Amino acid sequence: MRFGVLSERSVRFLLGAGAVTGFFLVWEFLLTFVFTFNPFFITKPSLMWDATGDLILSGELWKDLYISGTPFVFGFAAAVVVGIPLGVVMGWRRRVAFALDPFLTALYASPLVALAPLLIVMFGVGIKGKTILIFLLAVFPFIFNAFAGVRSVDTLLINVVRSLGGKERDLYFKVILPSTLPYIVAGARIAIGRGIVGIIVGEFYAASEGIGHALIWFGDMYQLGHMFVCILVLMIVAVIFTVGLRKAELAIAPWRTQETR
Amino acid sequence: MEPYIRSTDITLTFTPKNRDPVTALKDFRIELNSGEFVSIVGPSGCGKSTFLNVLLGLLKPDMGEMEIGGKKITGPGVERAMVFQEFGLLPWRTVMANVELGPELKGESVASRRPRAQELINLVGLTGFEGHFPHELSGGMKQRVGLARALATDPEVLLMDEPFAALDAQTRDLMQAELLQIWDKHKKTVLFVTHSIEEAAYLSDRVIVMTARPGKTKRIIKINLPRPRGYEMRLSPEFNDIKLDIWNTLKDELNPRE
Ligand SMILES: Nc1ncnc2c1ncn2[C@@H]1O[C@H](COP(=O)(O)OP(=O)(O)OP(=O)(O)O)[C@@H](O)[C@H]1O
Ligand SMILES: [Mg+2]
Repeated sequence: MRFGVLSERSVRFLLGAGAVTGFFLVWEFLLTFVFTFNPFFITKPSLMWDATGDLILSGELWKDLYISGTPFVFGFAAAVVVGIPLGVVMGWRRRVAFALDPFLTALYASPLVALAPLLIVMFGVGIKGKTILIFLLAVFPFIFNAFAGVRSVDTLLINVVRSLGGKERDLYFKVILPSTLPYIVAGARIAIGRGIVGIIVGEFYAASEGIGHALIWFGDMYQLGHMFVCILVLMIVAVIFTVGLRKAELAIAPWRTQETR
Repeated sequence: MEPYIRSTDITLTFTPKNRDPVTALKDFRIELNSGEFVSIVGPSGCGKSTFLNVLLGLLKPDMGEMEIGGKKITGPGVERAMVFQEFGLLPWRTVMANVELGPELKGESVASRRPRAQELINLVGLTGFEGHFPHELSGGMKQRVGLARALATDPEVLLMDEPFAALDAQTRDLMQAELLQIWDKHKKTVLFVTHSIEEAAYLSDRVIVMTARPGKTKRIIKINLPRPRGYEMRLSPEFNDIKLDIWNTLKDELNPRE
C-alpha cells in the first residue's frame, strides 16, 4: 500500500516517531503549564534529558549496562540451551513429560522472584546469583512453548519423513524443530521480559552496581529523572531484543514470515 | 508366477480417543505382480488411504500381514514411496529441497541428488519454481512436487493416493501420459487410488473396486486394452464399455449421505 508519495514503511516510521515525540511533548507541557510540578513525585522529559547526559557523560550508564548485561546474556543463553531441548523432548516423548510435569508446573506457577534472596545467599550478589535467577525466569517460556510446538506438529509430515527412510534424528531436525520454531520465538519474547525482571530483582538485594541497582538507588535518592532514564533504557533494551528476534525469525524462517504477511 | 506384493486378509480398526471405533478395512486382500499397474476405486472413506498406509509401513493392521518380494512388511522401506493425498510438503523447504528429501535422508550428497531432482522438477513442469516455498504454489503444483519427491527415491513400488485430484483437466492428461511413460520405462509397480473411473480405466491393468466401509474387495476388473494407450483410445466403444462396467459395480456402494 502507498500513501501519496511515501512508502508504507516511511509512513509507519514517521507516525511512530511522531507519536512518541508528541507523547513526551504533552508530558512536558502538562507538568510545566497545567499541573504543579513536584519533583519528589514525578519527573518530566526535560529533567530526564539532563539526567541522560549526566549518566552518559559520567560513563555510569555503560558500566551499569555491562554489569547487568553479562548475567542477562549468560542466563538467557543457558535458558535457550536447556529449555528448547527439554521442551522438545518432553513434547515428543510423553513419558518424559509425565515425569517432569509436576516439577515444571509447580516452578512455573510459583513466584520465582521469591527465590531471589535465597539465590543471593547461596551464590552471592555477583554475576553467579543473577545469572541463575535470570536463567530460572527465562527458561520456562522456552520449555513450555517448545513443548506446545511439538504437540502441534503435523503427523502427516512425520509420516512423510518416516516413509522416506527418516530416523528419529531426522524427525527431530527436519520436522519437529522447524515446525516448533515459531512457538520458540513466541516463547523467547516472553522470556526477554522475564529476564529483565530478573535483572532488577537480582540487583534489588544488596547489589552495588548494575542498571537494576541504579534504578532502585536513584529512586531511594528521589532522583526521579535519573530513575526514569533507567526505566527507559530497560524498555529500549527490551524493544531492541524483540525487534532483533523478529529479524532473526525472518532470516531463519522465511517461509513463515512470508506466509503471515 | 508368485505375486510381488501380497497380503493375507487385512483388518484395521481405528480407535480414536473419546469416539467410537471405526473399522476401516475388513478382510481386504490384494495381490500385485511386479510391474503391474493397479488402480483402486471405492467410495470416500472406504479405507483406500488406510490401505496404502499399511502397505507403506506406517500403519500396522490388527489382523493380517503383507509381504513384498517374499519379505514381510514391518515398516517403511526404500523400495516403496507414496504420493500423499494431502501432499505433505514440508512448508520450510523449497520445492527443490522437498524433492531432494528422500535422497537426502538416504545420505546422498548434494552433488549426486541435485541433477536428478532438477530433472524431476522439469519433468513435472515446475522449472523455474525450484526456490519457491509450498505456500507460494497452487494445489496442482504442490501435488506435482509430491509426485517428483516420490520419484526422486526411484522406488520399485509407487503408491499414489489420488495424485492428480488437484490438477486441472489438461495438466491431468499430461501427467497421466507422463506417468505411463515412467512406469513403462522403469518397470515400476504402481498402486493408484483414484475417484475417476476414466482415469482408472485408462491407466490400469486391473481395477479393484472396493465396497463401502469397512472396505473389502468387491470385484477386480481386468482392463484388456492394448498398450501403449493413446488419447484416441479413450473415445473407443471398448473403453466406454469398461467405464460402464466399473460404474455399475461401484454405484451400489456409493452413499450420497457420506
Ligand atoms: N487416524 C485416524 N483416526 C481415526 N479414524 C480414521 C483415521 N484415519 C482414517 N480414519 C477413518 O477410517 C476410514 C477410512 O479412511 P481413509 O482415509 O482410508 O478413506 P479413503 O478411502 O482414503 O477416503 P477418501 O476417498 O475420501 O480419501 C474413514 O471412515 C476415516 O474416518
Ligand atoms: Mg483417501
